[in-house]
Amino acid sequence: MATHGAPGGPTSSALYDAATDSFRRWRAGEEPALDDLVRTMSPVLWHVVRATGLDREAAEDVIQNTWLTLVRSADSVRDAQAITRWLCTAARREAWRVSKSAARTRPVEDEALDARLPAHSSPESEVVSNDEKTLLWQALGRLPERCQKLLRIVAWEPRPDYSSVADTLDMPIGSIGPTRRRCLDKLRGELGSLT
Amino acid sequence: MTATDDDLLRAVALLYEDLDPAPHDLADGVMARLAVEDLETEYELLTLVERVDTRVGTRGEGEPDTTDTVALEFAGARYRVLVRIGPADGGERRLDGWVVPALPMRVFLGPPGDALAHTRQSAYADRDGRFEFPAPMGGEVRLWLLPQTGRGTESVPPFVTPPFLV
Repeated sequence: MATHGAPGGPTSSALYDAATDSFRRWRAGEEPALDDLVRTMSPVLWHVVRATGLDREAAEDVIQNTWLTLVRSADSVRDAQAITRWLCTAARREAWRVSKSAARTRPVEDEALDARLPAHSSPESEVVSNDEKTLLWQALGRLPERCQKLLRIVAWEPRPDYSSVADTLDMPIGSIGPTRRRCLDKLRGELGSLT
Repeated sequence: MTATDDDLLRAVALLYEDLDPAPHDLADGVMARLAVEDLETEYELLTLVERVDTRVGTRGEGEPDTTDTVALEFAGARYRVLVRIGPADGGERRLDGWVVPALPMRVFLGPPGDALAHTRQSAYADRDGRFEFPAPMGGEVRLWLLPQTGRGTESVPPFVTPPFLV
């Protein structure tokens, strides 16, 4: 249970190693290993799916369906090391399908998230990091929505499948890499202007 | 501050984890859903055969009820399930139980009348058939018990308890 809710992000290779290990054990017949995989990867899928703009309830449905798909077609994952990418891609495609068919999608509302920003009245030890988070949130908010979504995806999924990202964000596949670069530069610039 | 791409992305990941975290019961919801999809058979509804309320120690009037322990016994055609709800550290309650004869199982705890797909707490019963919910949800609940008999062995149908109060 140590990996439950573990922060992902580009440096969290431990999370991906844990997922690979769980998947291998599950495929070798160890049923409870599927639970480990679910606990490790569901928080990652949450951010991947929420970045597409689905509301919380729809996101949860998409994530459950993604796991059902895995259980039914686990044989199609030929390389255990590819399991994180397989899951993220399947989740994103399912999210894209749901948002297209049900028109249920709506952008994550800034107001709703603003209300959850860390309060300034927290203990002193947290003030510095809270200030940094507030700044980062403000800087992100100045970026185009597409940038915000793309950065949330690549923050949680270091090497995403670009074709599914392109579908989700309605962008040409060839522009994902350059856009990622531009968005990061913009974010750095906004952070610089805020400090 | 000239943060590297990795630093920035890590900060972004942590920010979203803070502002829009996954529901704490997301994984349990997934596992309940997977368990439901696995099932092709009907549940066997167990019967409550005994309930014993025990007041722990000799306490004065007005002591909180949380010192009470409740023991429940459910029975089905082939299995009995014993459940104990008692006080835990910090004034919380805990629920533990076991299955006789012992059998590894997935155990789900959820509100009665609700489909298993919507239950939100899960545990494993070990080889001795023991399981535990260290912080069970309150109110009226029931347990779904899904035997894990493994591949190639005789399958045992899942069973469910009648509703009881935590």
